[in-house]
Amino acid sequence: MRQNLFKLAASILKEARIIGRDRQALFLFFVMPVVFVLILSLALRDAFGERPGASFPVLVVAGDRGEISSSVIQAFRSNSHLQLTESEYASEAQVRQWLIEGRYKFAVLIPSGAMEQAKRRIGEMAARVPKDLLMEKPVAVRVLADPALRGDYRKVLEGALSLALRGVEMRLGGEQLDQILKTTLGERHVPMPDMEQTPVFAPVQSEVVTRERGDPVPTSVQQNAPAWTLLAMFFLTVPLSVSFIKEREQGSLFRLQTMTVPAWVVLGGKALPYFVINLIQMASILAVSVHVLPLLGGDRLDLGHSPSAILVMGASASIAAIGFGIAVAMYARTAEQAASFSSAVVMIMAALGGILVPKTVMPPLMQDLAVFSPLSWGLDGFQDVFVRGGGVTQVMPEALGLLAFSALCHGIAILRYESRI
Amino acid sequence: MNNPCPFSMRHAVKKDGAAAIELRQLSKVYKGARTPALNGIDLTVREGGFFGILGPNGAGKTTLMSVLGGLLKPSSGSVWINGQDLQRHRAAIKRVLGMVPQEPAIYPTLTARENLEYFGRMQGLSGKHLQSRVEACLEIAEISADADQRVEHFSGGFKRRLNLVIGLIHEPRILILDEPTVAIDPHSRALIHQRLRELHAAGISILISTHYMEEAEQLCQEIAIMHHGRILVQGTVGDLLAMQRNETIQMQLTDDPPEALIRKLQQLPGLQNAFVSGRCVMVTAERPDEVAVRLMQTVHEYGLGVHSMGFGASSLEQVFLSLTENRAEK
Repeated sequence: MRQNLFKLAASILKEARIIGRDRQALFLFFVMPVVFVLILSLALRDAFGERPGASFPVLVVAGDRGEISSSVIQAFRSNSHLQLTESEYASEAQVRQWLIEGRYKFAVLIPSGAMEQAKRRIGEMAARVPKDLLMEKPVAVRVLADPALRGDYRKVLEGALSLALRGVEMRLGGEQLDQILKTTLGERHVPMPDMEQTPVFAPVQSEVVTRERGDPVPTSVQQNAPAWTLLAMFFLTVPLSVSFIKEREQGSLFRLQTMTVPAWVVLGGKALPYFVINLIQMASILAVSVHVLPLLGGDRLDLGHSPSAILVMGASASIAAIGFGIAVAMYARTAEQAASFSSAVVMIMAALGGILVPKTVMPPLMQDLAVFSPLSWGLDGFQDVFVRGGGVTQVMPEALGLLAFSALCHGIAILRYESRI
Repeated sequence: MNNPCPFSMRHAVKKDGAAAIELRQLSKVYKGARTPALNGIDLTVREGGFFGILGPNGAGKTTLMSVLGGLLKPSSGSVWINGQDLQRHRAAIKRVLGMVPQEPAIYPTLTARENLEYFGRMQGLSGKHLQSRVEACLEIAEISADADQRVEHFSGGFKRRLNLVIGLIHEPRILILDEPTVAIDPHSRALIHQRLRELHAAGISILISTHYMEEAEQLCQEIAIMHHGRILVQGTVGDLLAMQRNETIQMQLTDDPPEALIRKLQQLPGLQNAFVSGRCVMVTAERPDEVAVRLMQTVHEYGLGVHSMGFGASSLEQVFLSLTENRAEK
């Protein structure tokens, strides 16, 4: 075993020397993917609705035409960045659908009878009904938001809405105080209702509306950085398989077969340098997405909270890509055949897996088919980290799927390698 | 299919040494192929022997080399190397076997030294022993001055020399070479020949496939001529030439002989051996002049004419051509 590990180390060194002396390949491995991410993240930023200074379509469903609705509408109308649409009758389901379709980024649902409810509650509070015995519940003004809407914009809209509602709250409290003062005599002291302890309105908290499948819509950089990392990793199967076949054509692979070199040493010696290249590709693409893209006016990629989850996904995707490349190399007869076959299959897997076209804009049937693409598993895993803030546990299903795919490919490759002897 | 070769000189081979390589009824049929690439090969390379396999392109030489190198599994028959069954003791056999493939099996973007170091490590060498073997191999190939040049800049001859010494890096006891001097300059060819003689003198058993007759004549003690996956004739160079020189009649017929004629020819009185390949008939006899008359008569009885007839052969090339040419045309 020890001797085989020395052989593996020698194979890795040999492969690293061969790759290191191929300048064109190095350019393709490291520069091209980074350039792609930069160009596409910037070019597609508008398609993902992140243009600076853009105005957002906002919907206010005024189920109650009283002061609450008018205050909210007035507050939003005063903001030039909002394209306000009012509606009286839209149902919640309809509003959710509009958000999914991207028609609105933010929607406020004011329930019917909200004003009367607010008045009743403040009346009870003025009558000093104990908090636990209040009959009227807080008025629930609900907010629905498109997950593609940047978080900071959403918070600003929530703040504006809260201020509008607090204004109504204060006015209602003042009116109630006046009423009490009118109906009481003399200098009897009537304290103001304690609105801090017993608010009139429920706290404003927006709910992110997701599609039926639960896939949040990523931003441009959240889509492009992992997508092009994965595509770069899988495209490495082309030089990997071609290099294998060249060795076969040159006879060096057959020469190794006449020696006491196990198949795993030959395959491992070829695969491990490409694994390291894959991880460097990933690191460089993510670094550019975090540090360079914002300098060019794009959004900074938020890497989430789990570097280990990113590493798990990167390693799994690389192992899957290498397994595929080696399997192709074992079955292809010529370098040309390996190059054309592996690049065609990778492009199909990329198209199917939401790399070229985001899955969120695909029709349901295509989204169902995406499950057959390992690149889709990889993209889901990365977006678990970048978009949903997941950790190692959350990416484990995708990582295991990629490893299983790799194990299948490696198994097929080893069988083929052994069967040739 | 597995008829013994009619011109086999196997029994004339001295049996005083143990067998380095022994093949028994070895056959290989590629998947989907209609004819076998190897068809009942019997062959013995004595320990310390220098054995040559001659044959035209497509004769099955490379397939035979691939089977011996453990790259292909035979369809039937057995391969014994260094007294061990190849199928059962593959790893042990690989340690004593040095393979030199037909095309230079080297990494073009590595230097000669890096190639030798890599294949040396793959053979299990390390440390000072590896370094001393690398230096020795560079000297054997006379490429020490260019050891740190990338192989892609080497001439064809240098590549062939490096290809040869990579097969020697682990000091094998048995060396198998598949056409090691194809398309190289005379100097490199002479050097490779010289090194092979030295290796043979050092006691290494050598099996070489070639289609250069003079190469086989100069280097080999024993020779087998292969054609269409079969060994047509096998023996020492002297045996083969003697067989052809004095007691052989070669006859080219005007048409393919029927089976009945072939059987009758083989039963003619005074014949030692008869070999029919396509329209070529070759026989050996103690008194070839008498047999020639009977041969002519028999052929005419079957309504065939004789296109040409000759006696004996003066070189291995003539032996080779007389055995293989007619078949190749057919």
